Amino acid sequence: MRKSILSVLSLLMIASMLLAACGGGSPATEAPADSGGSSDSGGSSDSGGSSDSGEKQVLKVWSFTNEILTMAIAFEGQNPDVDVQFTMIPMDAGEYQTKIKAAIGTADVPDVVALEAAFVKEWVEADFLADLGDLLPLTEELQTYPSVVEVGTHEGVTKAYSYQATPGAFFYRRSIATECLGTDDPAEVQALVNDIESFLEVAETIKQCNPNYFTVGTSGELFNPFLANRAQPWIVDGALVIDPQVEAYIDFAKLMRDNGYESQANQWSEGWFAGMNDSLVGADGQPKKVFSYFLPTWGLPYVLIPNSGDTGGDWAMINGPLPYQWGGTWVGAMADSPNLDLAKEFVAFVALNEENLTNWATGVYTNEYLKAIDPTVADGQAQAAGDFVSSQVVVEKITSSFDGSELYEWLGGQNNYEAFGVAAPNVNGALLTGSDDAIQRALQSARDQYLNGEIDKATMWQQWLDVVRSEFPDLVIPEPPQ
Amino acid sequence: MKFTKINRNYYGYFFIAPFIIAFLVFGLYPLYNTLSLSLTDYTLMTRKGEYIGLQNFTVLFADQLFLKAIGNTWLIWLLNFIPQIGVALLLSAWFTNNRLKIKGVGIWRAIFYLPNLLIPVVIAALFNSFFSFYGPINQFMVRFGYQAEAVHYLQNVEITRAVVIFIQWWMWFGQTIIIVMAGMTSIPVHLYEAAMVDGASAAQMFRRITLPLLKPILIFIFVTSLVGGMQMFDIPYLLTDGRGAPSNSIMTNNILMYMKFASSRGHIGAASAVAVLTFIMTTICALGIFFVLRDKDDTVTNKPKRSWFKKSETK
Repeated sequence: MRKSILSVLSLLMIASMLLAACGGGSPATEAPADSGGSSDSGGSSDSGGSSDSGEKQVLKVWSFTNEILTMAIAFEGQNPDVDVQFTMIPMDAGEYQTKIKAAIGTADVPDVVALEAAFVKEWVEADFLADLGDLLPLTEELQTYPSVVEVGTHEGVTKAYSYQATPGAFFYRRSIATECLGTDDPAEVQALVNDIESFLEVAETIKQCNPNYFTVGTSGELFNPFLANRAQPWIVDGALVIDPQVEAYIDFAKLMRDNGYESQANQWSEGWFAGMNDSLVGADGQPKKVFSYFLPTWGLPYVLIPNSGDTGGDWAMINGPLPYQWGGTWVGAMADSPNLDLAKEFVAFVALNEENLTNWATGVYTNEYLKAIDPTVADGQAQAAGDFVSSQVVVEKITSSFDGSELYEWLGGQNNYEAFGVAAPNVNGALLTGSDDAIQRALQSARDQYLNGEIDKATMWQQWLDVVRSEFPDLVIPEPPQ
Repeated sequence: MKFTKINRNYYGYFFIAPFIIAFLVFGLYPLYNTLSLSLTDYTLMTRKGEYIGLQNFTVLFADQLFLKAIGNTWLIWLLNFIPQIGVALLLSAWFTNNRLKIKGVGIWRAIFYLPNLLIPVVIAALFNSFFSFYGPINQFMVRFGYQAEAVHYLQNVEITRAVVIFIQWWMWFGQTIIIVMAGMTSIPVHLYEAAMVDGASAAQMFRRITLPLLKPILIFIFVTSLVGGMQMFDIPYLLTDGRGAPSNSIMTNNILMYMKFASSRGHIGAASAVAVLTFIMTTICALGIFFVLRDKDDTVTNKPKRSWFKKSETK
């Protein structure tokens, strides 16, 4: 008898250990990113005034960066009875998306999720996000850029909103422009590169001017701009569409490669970054310079400036040959959420609240500001000024506040907010679909083989279509272009 | 008395219970689940899977990419395994040789094992950067006149495969050496001494004593390496674009499986089908290795035994 009790007990112990091992992961990963004010300790970590140790309403927010944590704390500041539990999961290799997919239907399901441009459409097209159509009137009030709303909408139902708009721009080196094109004035340079044909002429001029100058780091930077100007998205009625712009892009990229207009450093590779600060050295030992980079709003503070070394002040920005957009973060509420009303309120605060967007863009959310609300905030948590927001009303109000700022000086006396504000309304949001990422990455891989002369053009199309067919067995694949 | 004996047996079950439970939960159940998923069109984004029979498998066999992935996996595994076992046998034979008496065996062994401790992500990033267009290899080759201009090494199918094969070999031969050396040092020294008395050459001793007695160890290495090789993922995934570039030349079974799993809708059914086929293929090949390398003397009992081991024993 005693033995059987013993065995039951030990089995229970083993079972509980197993369960602990399975369930242990999420609280552990949550802990460091948690915005403080956890449910267990009775409100001690909260802003001074509110001493209500009663039940706080818990809102679970998941994201792939810490940006939204800043707004979550600001939200807590305005709603002392809400406890936002923020969880950050990196998305480098798709862990974030997989984690949300796995949480659906379980008790761990978050209330609010952040969705990146690369996969937001997957979620908007599926059935797991709540219909946030009630918030649409706010977008009219704030004049949210139509493309931003369009991306969050599928078959007339709006499920996600964004606090950002991400129009793309063309950043160029003033010194090279003066040397080779005879002017560094943004308006005059824009006139020179107003379309792809004249862009290629400029590329030739720069090559003639100095053989160690490249017009772009890689023609891959123009992939997005070309795709943004298609007439149709990749998939229409279950069939793959190869838009003429796609063919035009391939021919353009081949020209850029064969004529030596690009540095051939892959995007995000060391060489590509080196071109931003003149530290690029060719295999022949010659220093090389790169004239321009195609980057969107977020590319300026997060990519270009941190890698620009001491070239600050020598840059300028214009729209470039093609209008486009690239990236961005959307926010949606899960349909399963037990706190749907609060989740909606949070989404509205993040993406559709004039005060929040203004604070976000103008650098009000400093670390001290956040610490006043929640003393447990990490030291680095803050939002610097300059992110381009989705509301035209806010953009127009705050544009002039960037005159004379650090960014203004870095751009040689140009207001980046003003330039993006001109580009933002031209963006087309209807071209994104949930399958874009896989289709485009497959094309890039085949393209690189073609550009390098490993395969011919017909093989390239075939190789790409084979991979797409493998990944989307149900998709109708057209004949490859000639 | 009988009663206590049963109780003792009962305690035995008790002690292996943790393993059995862990195996059932983390080994057998996932296997069963993968099998059943592979017969459905279940996706992460729809949450409803219909039973579709073997459709996932027929789609896979019609898929050029899948056949290519299997070919790639075998090619990369074989070309890294053959030199790996060859080098491991040679070095282990030297290290354990009584006549050579090489100094600092432990240090060499540690140095050879070191690459295995590095994180694959770091190694892949390192090699990617070595072979990039502005990387050190291009700089070296052009400046010393071996090449006219920089080239994209990782756009070349043969070079990219060779890099993956080299990394796999480099990371794993140290591990193999350790296991082979353990096997070799467990062979009784007196066998070699007797062979030396008989005037056997080093090559003869290796072929007639070391190899036969090393067979169980070799089977172990073959099978574990096969299992690892068929599931090769991290280095080829991280070295280029994570999709087997260039021209799908380093696309392995597991990369294809991951691509199906991570596709926009999360096709778990199709990904499971890849896993099931990889499992079947690995199992058949592992059984084949057991069969080919089985101890033939054990099965044919009526024939006189003729191994060196037997002879030396009778002497």
